Amino acid sequence: MPNQRLTSFIIIAVFILSLAAARAQDAGALLDLLVRKKIINDQEAEEVRAELVKESANTAAGKWKLSTPITELELYGDARVRYEYRGGRTADDAVPRSDWLERERERYRVRFGLRGTLADDWFFGIRLETSSNPRSTNVTFADDTSTITAGTSGNTRTINGPFAKNSDGIAIGQAYLGYKGFPDLTLTAGRMPQPLITTLMTWDADINPEGLAEQWKHTFNFNFGSSGVAESAAGYSKEGGKEVVATQTVSEPFKLKVDVFANLAQFVYDDSNPENPLGPRAEGVPNTDAFLLAWQVGARVTFPHDFYVQFAPTLYNYTGNGDTFNGHFVGGDETLSNGDSLSTNQTGIDSLLVLDVPMEIGWKIGELPMRIFGDFAVNLDADDRAEAAGFPDKDDQRYAYQIGLGIGQLKEKGQWQLNAFWQHTEQYSLDPNLVDSDIFDSRVNMEGVGVTAGYMLSGAVFLNLTYAYGWRSDDSLGTGGQGDIGINPLDQYQLFQADLNVKF
Amino acid sequence: MKHKYLALILAPVLATSAYADRLVIKGSDTLGAKLVPQLAEHFKAEHPGTTFDIAAEGSTTGIAAIIDGTADIGMASRRAKTAEVGAATSKGRTMKPVIVAYDGIAVIVNSANPVKSLTKKQVEQIFTGDVTDWSAVGGSGGKISIYTRNTSSGTYSEFKELAMKKRDYAGGSQKMAGNEQIAAEVGKNPNGIGYVGMAYTKASGVKVVSIDGNVPSVKSVQDHSYPYWRPTFYYTNGEPSGLAKQFVDYTLGSAGQKIVAQVGFVPVR
Repeated sequence: MPNQRLTSFIIIAVFILSLAAARAQDAGALLDLLVRKKIINDQEAEEVRAELVKESANTAAGKWKLSTPITELELYGDARVRYEYRGGRTADDAVPRSDWLERERERYRVRFGLRGTLADDWFFGIRLETSSNPRSTNVTFADDTSTITAGTSGNTRTINGPFAKNSDGIAIGQAYLGYKGFPDLTLTAGRMPQPLITTLMTWDADINPEGLAEQWKHTFNFNFGSSGVAESAAGYSKEGGKEVVATQTVSEPFKLKVDVFANLAQFVYDDSNPENPLGPRAEGVPNTDAFLLAWQVGARVTFPHDFYVQFAPTLYNYTGNGDTFNGHFVGGDETLSNGDSLSTNQTGIDSLLVLDVPMEIGWKIGELPMRIFGDFAVNLDADDRAEAAGFPDKDDQRYAYQIGLGIGQLKEKGQWQLNAFWQHTEQYSLDPNLVDSDIFDSRVNMEGVGVTAGYMLSGAVFLNLTYAYGWRSDDSLGTGGQGDIGINPLDQYQLFQADLNVKF
Repeated sequence: MKHKYLALILAPVLATSAYADRLVIKGSDTLGAKLVPQLAEHFKAEHPGTTFDIAAEGSTTGIAAIIDGTADIGMASRRAKTAEVGAATSKGRTMKPVIVAYDGIAVIVNSANPVKSLTKKQVEQIFTGDVTDWSAVGGSGGKISIYTRNTSSGTYSEFKELAMKKRDYAGGSQKMAGNEQIAAEVGKNPNGIGYVGMAYTKASGVKVVSIDGNVPSVKSVQDHSYPYWRPTFYYTNGEPSGLAKQFVDYTLGSAGQKIVAQVGFVPVR
């Protein structure tokens, strides 16, 4: 018997080892079975398992080497091709009057990232993205030409040709390190994914802020009512001479889940270089960096049957000066020519103390997710901002709000999603450097509607259509912000985008 | 003059001999906190002049020590991962596992906790944070305090695989350096729950809960009826040799396996 057993083991071991090395994991169950059948013992199984793992490590897949501290690594990303129409119209009293400036572009973007965990609760991430624009990862087809420097004399010559690569560069979109070893707390430093709960009204989704973030979240579970165990108690009765079994069901307890969170952020908004120059400081030259501090607290309450409510009040506080955004915001002037209006300060971050409250209510009808989403913001220092802009009588232009309805979700093949919203932003309500760059062309003092429709063509591919139509909110002011449409004030605006996305 | 030359010749030989009598063992706290030190003491009694350098900071450190050649034996309460085997291969080393004992990862609660048994599903729910109150699993109410090992521990990885379907631990779980620390904390906290190797279940203030009706015992680990059973290993670079082989053979011999049983593990025979 021992010889027969040894022979069986040798045959099976040779068979297993002859399989593709990728089968190392599949063989685990087979080895366990052989041990249970007492054909081999545990030590023999471990030796075969170790040999299989060693074989696997020598395959192309197994040669993917990870440094020892890495405990988990994820490769992810997405690619997109887009058709876009974007158009803006001048005001009725502008020169030229009621004229449209229109732009059509075919674009693409690629984002490619690695994120992982290290030993002892550290984590990291890095993501490369096309485009160096802080609010966009898009690259326009055929928008560039080639330039080379030729010869020893240093003369340059321009070679114009299609399919050049000047604008097709790669930038570091995210590079961050974090720690989550403290209960309920995540600490992040670097250039990071957005750590705050926001909407497109206040933050463009492509922005990766830089600085520090602290995220705290704790979950409370409540059960109101019985012990939570549904029981059936059988009772018997006789009807028409036959026994009838009647069941009684004890009601399920009312379960409530409350996620309480607090997110704090200290973003470096603008670096002032140098903070201490040689010699005396020139008049008006700033000596401090500009920071954007965010203080967000909120809760998500989940009721039975997939009904939830979430709100996240946030205070955005700007401090310091920096040397790029420290001028006073004007945002355009409709009494000026288009060129002069565009040349007024569109990016100043003076007198911004914004209280923002994004909200969401969700539920399901059958299996169909529905949600009402919204945002409300007010700049508590809008009067100073308006006065510095030269429009002290417009200090009431401090509010922004958004309300919308969403149906469906994009998670699996065949699923669809519709979102429609109304948005209104006043001239001195928000930071124009952060608002979404597509809806209303990165501008404030705009209002209008936006609609998106998406469909999952497969598990990783989806089609998305976006349409937005907006107009100037206050006709006596410009439309502050730096957009793609060179008109200020932007009296009317239209956007259409058709995207084909692949996620991996 | 002759003696001077003799000393010069013998010095490296003596130094080599002194080095050869020293065994460096690194790795698992499960093995290294109690079992291996006791094995070492008994081995030293039979092999005078032998010294041991034992560091028990987690299975990951033991495997890494074999990879980078800083230990003769790596103790581990989990198998080496593909990436670790690959790293060893790239350095010309071979991870050779030897099963030295079996263990059952026991789920422990405070002695005052009325909960005596849990299902595998409940264990998963508790340690992943799906369930956060003792009342949901038949206890008398109170927020569950979870104590786990840290990420360099083999027990941390094995429990995640055996009991949690590889899901992440609950965000509020508290990480401890070793089995004794987990037992100490659970023993002090009426709402505490944690996991330890079988050899650490006798700590004061704690009791073992059954899992689907099974408690870890010699029989339930040997016949694999206890769901959280596992082999524990010595790893060496290839076949063990020299003093390392002697110690491995001692561990697997009748005297060593008797110590394995006395400490609270399950012998391999």
